[in-house]
Amino acid sequence: MDLQGQNGLDAAFRASWRNRGGLAWLIAGTLVGFYTLLYFGGDLGLNDIPALNFDRWAQAIGLPSRWHLYGLLYTVGVVGGGIAYLRKHGNSRYNTYRIAVNIAVQVLLAFTLPLAMAVFGQGSYYFSYLWPLAWYDFHPGHLASLPAAVAVWTLGGALVLAPLMAYRYGKRWYCSWVCGCGGLANTFGDPWRHLTASSTKSWKFEKVAVHTVMFIAIGSTFALFLDYFAGDRMPTLHRIVDGGDWWSVKRLYGYVVGSILAGVIGTGLYPLLGPRVWCRNFCPMAALLGLQQKLGRFRITVKPDMCISCGNCTTYCEMGIDVRSYAQSNESFTRSSCVGCGMCAHVCPRGVLRLENLTKKRDQADKARQGLPVVNL
Amino acid sequence: MRVVIIGNGVAGMEAALEVRRREPAWEITIISEESDHFFSRTALMWVFAGQLSHQCIEPLERDVYARLNFRRVRARAVGIDVEARQVRIAGGHDAVPFDRLLIASGSKPRPGPWPGSELAGIGHFVTHQDLSWYEAEVHGGPSRGGPPPNADAHLAFSTPDSPYAKRPVAAETRGRPAKDVAVIGGGLIGIEAVEVAHAAGLHPRFFIREEWFWPMAIDRTESTWISDRMREHGVHVHLEENVERFEGEGVVERIVTDQGDYAADAVVVAIGVVPNTDFLRSGDGEGDGDAPVTLDRSGGIVVDERLETSVPGVFAAGDCASVRWFNGAVRPEQLWYTARDQGRIAARGLLGDTVQSYARGHWYNSAKLMDIEYTTAGLVNFHVEGERNWFFEETGAVRSTNRIVLSGDRVVGFNFLGRRWDHSVLLRFIDEHRSLSYVLDHLDDARFDTEFVPPLRVPMEARLRGLSEGPAPSALPQPVAPPAV
Repeated sequence: MDLQGQNGLDAAFRASWRNRGGLAWLIAGTLVGFYTLLYFGGDLGLNDIPALNFDRWAQAIGLPSRWHLYGLLYTVGVVGGGIAYLRKHGNSRYNTYRIAVNIAVQVLLAFTLPLAMAVFGQGSYYFSYLWPLAWYDFHPGHLASLPAAVAVWTLGGALVLAPLMAYRYGKRWYCSWVCGCGGLANTFGDPWRHLTASSTKSWKFEKVAVHTVMFIAIGSTFALFLDYFAGDRMPTLHRIVDGGDWWSVKRLYGYVVGSILAGVIGTGLYPLLGPRVWCRNFCPMAALLGLQQKLGRFRITVKPDMCISCGNCTTYCEMGIDVRSYAQSNESFTRSSCVGCGMCAHVCPRGVLRLENLTKKRDQADKARQGLPVVNL
Repeated sequence: MRVVIIGNGVAGMEAALEVRRREPAWEITIISEESDHFFSRTALMWVFAGQLSHQCIEPLERDVYARLNFRRVRARAVGIDVEARQVRIAGGHDAVPFDRLLIASGSKPRPGPWPGSELAGIGHFVTHQDLSWYEAEVHGGPSRGGPPPNADAHLAFSTPDSPYAKRPVAAETRGRPAKDVAVIGGGLIGIEAVEVAHAAGLHPRFFIREEWFWPMAIDRTESTWISDRMREHGVHVHLEENVERFEGEGVVERIVTDQGDYAADAVVVAIGVVPNTDFLRSGDGEGDGDAPVTLDRSGGIVVDERLETSVPGVFAAGDCASVRWFNGAVRPEQLWYTARDQGRIAARGLLGDTVQSYARGHWYNSAKLMDIEYTTAGLVNFHVEGERNWFFEETGAVRSTNRIVLSGDRVVGFNFLGRRWDHSVLLRFIDEHRSLSYVLDHLDDARFDTEFVPPLRVPMEARLRGLSEGPAPSALPQPVAPPAV
């Protein structure tokens, strides 16, 4: 058994459905239509699907509700895509463990548990989504309404656990092991990962876009606080922040970030733009974890003078990082956008790249590595 | 100052970048037929498979020529006029004048010596044009990544003997893609051609003259694993079999060896490469066949320590230059990282520096043979003085073979299959004259496996029993320098 490295070649560019061929456009169109109906159907009166109310079990698990149906489809996408992924890359231990955790989190934490809570008359709660991804979680009124343990998890998970883990292991612990968006991207979306743009232009766009959304999410959270403590005295403020009008901060954020950027574009356009459009360009959680990662111990180590500039790493980086540019200049690196999926190391034919959580010992090893020029340039 | 570079590969491009870094105003011209854009030649196999597009294997963004003001002449150089200081170009193109010149024209495939080699359907796997030919034979054309832009733009300024000429495609004559692919030559290009044919769903035949695959780099035990793996995948591996001729009416139909004859629709001849320097001999218009710069018997361009040729101001780097190897031998070295380093050194010469010289460090390399990782460092298969070999085959969760070469009590080389290793740490062991027991105690420092792969553990009795006296048996008549990658 080979527990690392690519096992067999991938004919991505010889399959039209993986390369913006007719079928790819059809899949994208279907997904975009699906997400548009899902998010905006309510306004058109398309709330639930009564046809699915066929027996009391269907009713008990809330199948006729379009959100529950979506949860079911999402889980099917993660499980099915995960199996396909493991058939291709399952020889690698890192890939196997990672995708297994993704599937388990989706099935248990993001699907079964909220459903069970609903069945038993509790409010549903998604433990695998943290602030600022779930930005409204920090609404003081909402926090106060939660059971104490859940409130502690909501605050502690976002403010203590996530930064600590990102410092120690990089943002990968969340973005490509736990997160549902990342889980779908790495399973159902994996066949399109080579479509992610890796140009300098796309990097410039990413930096501006993702940090803009991050600041909007943080700013909106502050606005929620302001509204909660001062909203009574300032009805206009309340109306702007948390009112029922379509143009309130809450509603607009939901429409633009939650529905359009994460759903319609982020997932709908998988077959045309690659699976991480949302994570890379718009996710506030990814931006924040990225800054923490940048200060932390995770990095991709480059073996000196071994890169042949083939481009497999850059092509198969779902975040559009030009990994090759680091590899061919012998530069170990930490990029804030890197979600640590491990694919660059997996496809490298020379074993040049390695994901690492640096320890002091590794730093010493690094010193030994330096000063070994092959030619004294 | 006018700098001209013949060759758009890694040596030429590294030199161009280095000159531009120091001299923003100099005129830099790059002459090459093969492709508009610099690409990684070692990555052709993934383009064939469809794992990468042609643009994916270009290490620099396509605007680099415009951005850094490199003039790009997409045509064949057919000679150098040393007195007039200009490069002559085929097809009536204006000659390109230079003050300083770098020849980085690379390698071309060694042609097959067998009767019938001129038949359509027989080719190589070295140039972009070879790739297009092989794709046309097996897949019927390029992947959806498409051909590179202006793929045929050089044809108007080329000659029929160019290694970048278009090759006739037997599949077009035959009216169907190739089913029976044969690959001749048990080296790295050979196994790549086999691997991609297998990935296309075929069962290629792999003809190897020697007793085992790649004897220059690996020994019998190591090689047997790789041959077994190829056979598991449905490749017909023919060891110790000599090709005698090809047969067919216009297109190749059969390949005849000393042991049998086999149907063949497409044949990849991968028996090595030779310096691409013929254009220096043929193009002076006088017909005397003398190159203006001195060539050695192999066709490599003779250079000094600064990579300057016999003509002042004319340098050579990469596969076409005969350089001094780490063991003192002087001959071309067809390797990615040495070409890159030579390009940088040659740039110092083009810039007029006089101090920098090329000094080759240790030998090291890595590769992937089918799905088996391979790392080598130091003196393996060199028959060093007082040679002993330590060998351990790991079975279980990870399969690996691990060979450490000693000269007396000193560790001098490593040959590792099945795992990833950091060669720079292995080379440090060699530099520090470490003993076998020290190296085995510290092997974890060189570990480069991906996460969750269990480390290599050598049982105590294997540490002692693994050592054997004398050199490893060789399938080659005499020790040779390591192979090109």
